Amino acid sequence: MVAPSPSPQPPHARGGGEESVTLTILLQVAVGGLLMGLIYALVAAGLSLIFGLMDVVNFAHGELLMLGMYATYVVWLATGLDPLLLLIPVAIALFAVGVAIYHLLIARALSVRFNRGMVQIFVTFGLAILLRGAAQFAFGSDFKSVSTSLLAGHTIDLGGVFVPLPQLAAGIVSLIAFGALLAVSRTEFGRALEATREDREAVALIGIDRDRIFALGWGLGAAAVGIAGVMLATFYYVSPNVGANFALIAYVTVALGGFGSLFGALVAGLLIGLVEALTALLFEPSLKQVGMFAIYLAVLMFRPRGLFGTL
Amino acid sequence: MQGVIVAIAAFVLAIGSVPARAADDVVIGALYQMTGPNGQVGNDAKAAMETAADIINGNHNVPMLLGKGGGLSNLGGAKVRVIFADHQGDPQKARAEAERLITQEHVVALIGSYQSATAATVSQVADRYEVPFMVAESSSPSLNQRGLKWFFRTSPHDMMFTQAMFDFYRDIGAKTGRKVRSVVLFHEDTIFGTDSSNAQKQMAEAAGIKVAADIRYRGNSPSLSAEVQQIKAADADVVMPTSYTSDAILLMRGMHDLGYAPKAIMAQSAGFAEQSLIDAVGPLMEGVMSRSAFALDAVKARPAIPAVNALFRARSNKDLNDNTGREITALIVLADAINRAGSTDEEKIRQALIATDVPGDQTIMPWQGIKFDNTGQNIAATPVIQQIKDGKYHTIYPFDVAAEEAVWNVGK
Repeated sequence: MVAPSPSPQPPHARGGGEESVTLTILLQVAVGGLLMGLIYALVAAGLSLIFGLMDVVNFAHGELLMLGMYATYVVWLATGLDPLLLLIPVAIALFAVGVAIYHLLIARALSVRFNRGMVQIFVTFGLAILLRGAAQFAFGSDFKSVSTSLLAGHTIDLGGVFVPLPQLAAGIVSLIAFGALLAVSRTEFGRALEATREDREAVALIGIDRDRIFALGWGLGAAAVGIAGVMLATFYYVSPNVGANFALIAYVTVALGGFGSLFGALVAGLLIGLVEALTALLFEPSLKQVGMFAIYLAVLMFRPRGLFGTL
Repeated sequence: MQGVIVAIAAFVLAIGSVPARAADDVVIGALYQMTGPNGQVGNDAKAAMETAADIINGNHNVPMLLGKGGGLSNLGGAKVRVIFADHQGDPQKARAEAERLITQEHVVALIGSYQSATAATVSQVADRYEVPFMVAESSSPSLNQRGLKWFFRTSPHDMMFTQAMFDFYRDIGAKTGRKVRSVVLFHEDTIFGTDSSNAQKQMAEAAGIKVAADIRYRGNSPSLSAEVQQIKAADADVVMPTSYTSDAILLMRGMHDLGYAPKAIMAQSAGFAEQSLIDAVGPLMEGVMSRSAFALDAVKARPAIPAVNALFRARSNKDLNDNTGREITALIVLADAINRAGSTDEEKIRQALIATDVPGDQTIMPWQGIKFDNTGQNIAATPVIQQIKDGKYHTIYPFDVAAEEAVWNVGK
């Protein structure tokens, strides 16, 4: 059923040149939106983890995504290895980057005496600008692509609904990653994370090394977004600014789902992906972000802690 | 007595320290997006401008206007120096950078700026400070319709480009018997996309061609699959995108993902002129058509092309394209006007620009020439239509300058 060549159009009523929205078209757009939503969710998961843990909004989160994409591109270019094989290595590399960012920057930012909130914001924001500039310096501003991979360019035709394989794989990997994150949350470490999230002052009393938990939390958050980056690299373009395209949506997803809630990030991501796609289809494509921001505003007004937030 | 000797000594030193004045550099300010989503285009523009400056200042002896080199002869061999400002694609930053270039860097003229949205604000600043602004490639037709005195544009605008597209439809339809009956417009939502789609709508109506859908989308989105679905549902003869590079990549891949291969794609250049797109999308680009102001293959009629392309390639590792070809031309025309003015006085430069009359064969462009009308628009700029074959653009229209036969699948 893999159909890389075009198939005939499914029959549907058409009057006067206006495209009518058939069930097939609706399903097609909904599927695309949900698959994209799973990617938003995975990007947001890392952000939610970090914020829930230590009240630090990581403004460099989009840039971590970009790093994951460039890491995939560079290794693919050098070795020809399929991106799917690079999931674990890149996740580990980004884990290390996350831990390094915590120890080198965030830990110091959190230990200042005055204006801690501002310092933390500027540190991650400055990191974002640095990473973007470094990427442009290292790779140039041209758009790069992982053009030959196992899945690239392949589409399945499921009864008129075309599902591109790279996006489908990305969705599946995202679900697996969520499963892994939720499994981690049930472990000793996961419960230590939860405890630190609930009361970071008190955990020292029960023998939890807060510093270590924070570092590992950063590592885990960065690894999650790194996995999203690997999958994105199979169908999206890689450039120094690509993180910005996803970062804003990630913040909205986290706020909608609830800060610190992994399950919330998943649900919110799916919801936003779906709403964005359907708004583009049923209203006007250039207004497609209006739908998701409208929902976000509604949630802020009626349930400020987000759908599943506990903070 | 001693005081007099000191005074005389100081006087002699002062006179002696004024050097025999070699001509000062003529400084031109270039505004482009150097960082951000279209940063690639800005960096290519920098390479183009530096190539043009090198041709003017050096001695590469290229058979074109100012190709002999040696600087600006009427200004004592003064060298042209271009300083670059990054507007990041933001019209307000473009405005601020234009002001900075004029008031702090004291440039004698401005050049730029790719995105029409930024050219709009820069041209307003130029008019306010009475400094000439040479638009190299921003193609929105409304830019020269605002009664500005200091605005000049060597590039054709989107009304002229779109006219070439519809003239092509008419002529290829007559030639093959397979006419265009419907088009779908797909455009980004700034002044570039909006003006382009308005021009396309207008000309489609005049030609009796149905506009099956008019899809306005937001640039730099994570996904364009819902928008591409609407293109597929419209099922028109020709898809006409007005897109920057990133969205062009998503468009081409998105159509393939949905199992949709349009009979013809006719692009408003911009992102579709870029090598990144061709590299990213590969064989999907075969047969894609675009309007272009520049024809790399017009070597017979424009013998300067190989030399200029070689100089540009040495700096950028790419061939000249629609955007960079226009940028080189614009700088050379601007420098030539400054030369004819014989001075860096802005009003004299403006008068020299108004009097510009360069024959086409003195440039690398396939145009009739460079001649500005009273709105500052070059009316002798004649665009071509090109089509990708084997990963490169070849000129297919007008038929008498075509290098390749058009591959026309409409109606098949």
